[in-house]
Amino acid sequence: MRTLLKNGRILDPSQELDRVSSLLIEDDQIVGFGNDVLDAQVDETYDCTGMWICPGLVDPHVHLREPGGEHKETIVTGTQAAAAGGYTTICCMPNTDPPLDSPALIDFILDRAASPEAGGVFVAPVGALTRGMRGEELSDLAALKRAGIVAASDEQFPIQNSKIMMQAMEFCVQLDLPIMAHCEDMNLTRGGSMHEGAVSAMLGMKGIPRSAEEIAIVRNCLLSLHTGCQLHVMRVSTWGAVEMIRQAKFLGAPVTCEICPMHFAFTDENIGEFDTRFKIQPPLRTQVDIDLLVQGLTDGTIDCIASDHSPHASHEVDVPFEEAPFGSAQLESAVGVTLTLLTHKGVLTPLETINKLSTKPAQILRLDAGTFRPGGTPVAQVCVIDPDCEWTFDRHKTFSKSKNTPFDGMRMKGKTMLTFSGSEIYRDALFGDERYSVG
Amino acid sequence: MAKHLLGIRHLNKDQIEHLLSLAADFKLRVIEDKPVPKLNKQVVGMLFFENSTRTRVSFEMAAHYLSMKSANFAAGNSSMSKGETLKDTILTLRYERLTGLVMRHRMSGAPTLASHHFGGPVVNAGDGQHEHPTQALGDALTIIERKGDLDGLRVAIVGDVEHSRVARSNAWLLSKMGAEVRFVGPKTLIPSLSAMLPASVYYDLATGIADADVIITLRLQKERMSEGMLSSVGEYASMYQVNKDTLRYAKPDCLVMHPGPLNRGIEVDDIAADGERSAINAQVENGVFVRMASLYWCFTNEETHVDMVTA
Repeated sequence: MRTLLKNGRILDPSQELDRVSSLLIEDDQIVGFGNDVLDAQVDETYDCTGMWICPGLVDPHVHLREPGGEHKETIVTGTQAAAAGGYTTICCMPNTDPPLDSPALIDFILDRAASPEAGGVFVAPVGALTRGMRGEELSDLAALKRAGIVAASDEQFPIQNSKIMMQAMEFCVQLDLPIMAHCEDMNLTRGGSMHEGAVSAMLGMKGIPRSAEEIAIVRNCLLSLHTGCQLHVMRVSTWGAVEMIRQAKFLGAPVTCEICPMHFAFTDENIGEFDTRFKIQPPLRTQVDIDLLVQGLTDGTIDCIASDHSPHASHEVDVPFEEAPFGSAQLESAVGVTLTLLTHKGVLTPLETINKLSTKPAQILRLDAGTFRPGGTPVAQVCVIDPDCEWTFDRHKTFSKSKNTPFDGMRMKGKTMLTFSGSEIYRDALFGDERYSVG
Repeated sequence: MAKHLLGIRHLNKDQIEHLLSLAADFKLRVIEDKPVPKLNKQVVGMLFFENSTRTRVSFEMAAHYLSMKSANFAAGNSSMSKGETLKDTILTLRYERLTGLVMRHRMSGAPTLASHHFGGPVVNAGDGQHEHPTQALGDALTIIERKGDLDGLRVAIVGDVEHSRVARSNAWLLSKMGAEVRFVGPKTLIPSLSAMLPASVYYDLATGIADADVIITLRLQKERMSEGMLSSVGEYASMYQVNKDTLRYAKPDCLVMHPGPLNRGIEVDDIAADGERSAINAQVENGVFVRMASLYWCFTNEETHVDMVTA
């Protein structure tokens, strides 16, 4: 079986490659690209004129909710949503019920992800850093690593005790295991449900101050500097957070960080009249934060873009704002939002865009993804994006079980058209029939 | 589209004036025993998810004067305690054919959510720390009775502004009507960024109430001490109590108001609370008439004047 992706703009940040060309997939491997592949005998051809052909996207931060939260999302629906978003590798978070703190649970995740009904994307589990994510005793991290975790994290229950965090880092240095840290000083956030600022004051809601995030970032960065543990800061939201991470990198700490689309797309003012779709952790901040976050994306302080796909059932979010859970479905909107708000506005070049959505997160978590380099991925991982496709996001047309998204009804420019992981795992309805030919 | 009263923030000056003139008219009619419109087809649910005596009684009196029926709903005994969501409670009341809701809830924005699921009008009787619109209307009617107008007045709201829905509703109403609003209190009890609230901030009582026409004192909750926001009741009283001594900074004819219930000896002393400058009892009385106006306004579709509908 030979498949030709013809005449697209090949973007591979791992090789600084940006040129119009064609890519040939034979069986489940990329066998070559360039003009010479055009002469090959092929079984099917996708005309990718005007589109980007890039390494399958890599999402370092996804909540698949299984086990325990199957009413929100399952591994099957979550991986299907990922494929539709253009992702071929995703990292799933350990805050399930029970949390991913034992090798048996990692086996379960990997089995489910490999099942034929799943979306066909690679799932790289993130294990719980402490047992039960209680912040007290370390999980059996060596066994978890052997089972296949790519990083450890306590997700939304970050370790508050600095001594335990330091010991966790020391142990992870020995295991060569990155720690992904959601940074939050929980004494400063308790009871808060949105950014502490003018809008929370107006709406009469307890706020979450910027310093709650920044204090935890500073602590974790210093511990990373002193222990040498690789630290990946999840979803930065404040200008101060970017500045702290810039300093930590300057000092030589092995620190990286991610941003999620919500934090450059919206501010606390979007909450309007208590709209729970805009409730996330850390909370939506202000335009000043967005301006400086965008600068951090441009100068490389912010390494990558994570979806922070946090699905919830509709009955869980149709409640008073303070009762609502944090987060919303993001996998199928992330490409559209990123291209609309960053690439088309000149913040990121196309090559930088794919770097932040694929190559860089793969490098940070040492995943076999994010590249067209021969042998760089176990099977061909390719995403085709039409950067100029204008469309309206419709939550009823998504694969995710969760229809809770603030992007519903939003006009976007840029859409995932095809996703290959070994074989085709997603083809968009907007990818015209005339672009596909057999023989 | 049902008309709701969810907050003063959402009203314009004309609507506020209309509500206040309706209230003044109702007051006259009730006192002089003149006919009052009969909304006897309306059944309003009194949903107090948070304890309240004064506001609930005030709304029940208002409904009584308007010949409405009211259905009481004690949240403690309800299906909410069996795990029902607010949405389902509201839908149940909707299909039990209640025509309106008066709702108090400990969470900001809960009446807004109710208004999305209930067919008829929803009147906010206090939501979290967000708004308490009928309290602000009652306070405004009281000030107008004593001062003639709101325009140009200096009003100081003293105390725990951060946790006060009364402070927010009053700030919106008074500023929309042309008064100067000041928040006065300790830094820990004033919103850290009040830029979107129409008031200026003072941390010193003497400066904050200087030449004030009206002082609205707020109730100090005892739990602020255990939360570490204040050192002690005594220290708070020494810095922010409105009393005989501190009142001299305000205008000689300054009104002293309080939304109740009072902590005598903490935020206000007996002389300020009971003296001739106190308007606290008038606030309670006027509360009934503004609640009549609010119910009437929500249940009638046009901004018609009472005269046109009374027989």
